[in-house]
Amino acid sequence: MSATLGEAPKLQSSIAEQVQSEIERAIRRNIKGLEYVASPAPAVGMTPKDVIYKRGTLNLYHYLPMADEIYRVPILIVMATSNRGYILDLAPGQSFVEFLLRSGYDVYLIDWSPPSPDERRLRFEDYTLDFIPECVRRVRKDSGVKDLTLMGYCMGGVLSVIYVALHPKTQPKNLVCFTTPIDFRAMELFAKWSDRRYFEVDRLVDTTGNVPAELIFTGFEMLRPASRLAGQVTLWENLGNDEFVKSYRMFERWSNDTLPLAGEYFRQTVKDLLWENSLYKGELTIGGKRADLRNITAPILHVVAEHDHIVPHAAARPLIEQVGSAEKEEIMLKGGHISLVAGANAQRRLWPRLDAWLGVRSI
Amino acid sequence: MAEGPSKDPSAAWRELVSQWEKNINALANQNMASDEFSSGSNQAMNLALRIQQGMASGMATYLATLNLPSRADITALGERLQAMEAYLSRIAVALEEPARGKSRTRGAPKRSRPPRTKQPPARLP
Repeated sequence: MSATLGEAPKLQSSIAEQVQSEIERAIRRNIKGLEYVASPAPAVGMTPKDVIYKRGTLNLYHYLPMADEIYRVPILIVMATSNRGYILDLAPGQSFVEFLLRSGYDVYLIDWSPPSPDERRLRFEDYTLDFIPECVRRVRKDSGVKDLTLMGYCMGGVLSVIYVALHPKTQPKNLVCFTTPIDFRAMELFAKWSDRRYFEVDRLVDTTGNVPAELIFTGFEMLRPASRLAGQVTLWENLGNDEFVKSYRMFERWSNDTLPLAGEYFRQTVKDLLWENSLYKGELTIGGKRADLRNITAPILHVVAEHDHIVPHAAARPLIEQVGSAEKEEIMLKGGHISLVAGANAQRRLWPRLDAWLGVRSI
Repeated sequence: MAEGPSKDPSAAWRELVSQWEKNINALANQNMASDEFSSGSNQAMNLALRIQQGMASGMATYLATLNLPSRADITALGERLQAMEAYLSRIAVALEEPARGKSRTRGAPKRSRPPRTKQPPARLP
């Protein structure tokens, strides 16, 4: 249908306005794009803390309390070995650690640095019979409280449950795990890629020593190969939104900041956990002791993500099924592997739920 | 009242990108879950590792001929240095601790901590 004579100039001016608005948006976007490239990455992990213990790859932080009174029981968080701990302390107002501190918890965190060449020999034995017990001892000494809540994220959760299973007589007051895999065969793509018929893990570890961060990063990226590009398209569209850009940059920085893994630890992960699925079967032996999940009797909360592409629910579910605790609960929340613990989704969903569960158990 | 399809072109674009991402990821995951992919990608990696091993071994022989240290020799030296540094820092801590203890008893400021008396909100009167 053609416009009438009177409507034609109106239509032309409307089209002109739209074109002008789009050009202005594109210019603004380009200016913001230049700012994006030129400006430094946003600061992360800025919540005030003391490093109370450091040994090679291991760092134990104590965050300075932010409440006038705190719960009796301190929290010791064990970060995943493949990533930096600042995902739990992104920025003021978006920091899980800050939330815990403001809610009245006393927070300690085990964060990992890239293992040095001589740390290529670190094994599960070092993490679960030496590092974590030593940190538990130091937290008890520093806080003056015997009880503590042990909290692990992803492989940090795996190390935490193995530690508790190996030390049944010194159970933590509470155990909290976020998206912790137990049945490694259910992590289908990782299991497929590390198929023992094709994957020469011995050659890899013997050649590289520590397993390079690039290999770990590529493994995670390949699970969702289109997501990075789609993320960049979304970033382009939202370049005018400063909050979105800041958040995007923090998450991008974190996901690019993958850590290398100690060679022997990686070899054990592949052979014992992925090939033999020994943690799930109750056959994992560490330092001559069997890590039987039934030995875990502390109250336990396991929070899993509905859309977790790294640790699907089938891989995480057996934790609550197998532990011997009388008080045990699994909560499934909307979100993915990372958005479960950090970002707006976590702020709305996980943090208040966790506080409700943990507060009454921290006195 | 039932809502009609959105007329916002940005929303349509976002939906398109989201669908594209889902489809590509699903397709890629399907292909990467195959034996062929696992076998092919691992063959490529094993070849790269073999080349790396061969280069390292050849280079070590070459450097030994020139009477120069290899990367492994330097790494071993670094390990020994690190072990010595760790040992020294343990000695330093052991030496400093009694002094630190004395200064604390002399009334040096210790970071004060809030009392561990907090009760969960539901328990408050």
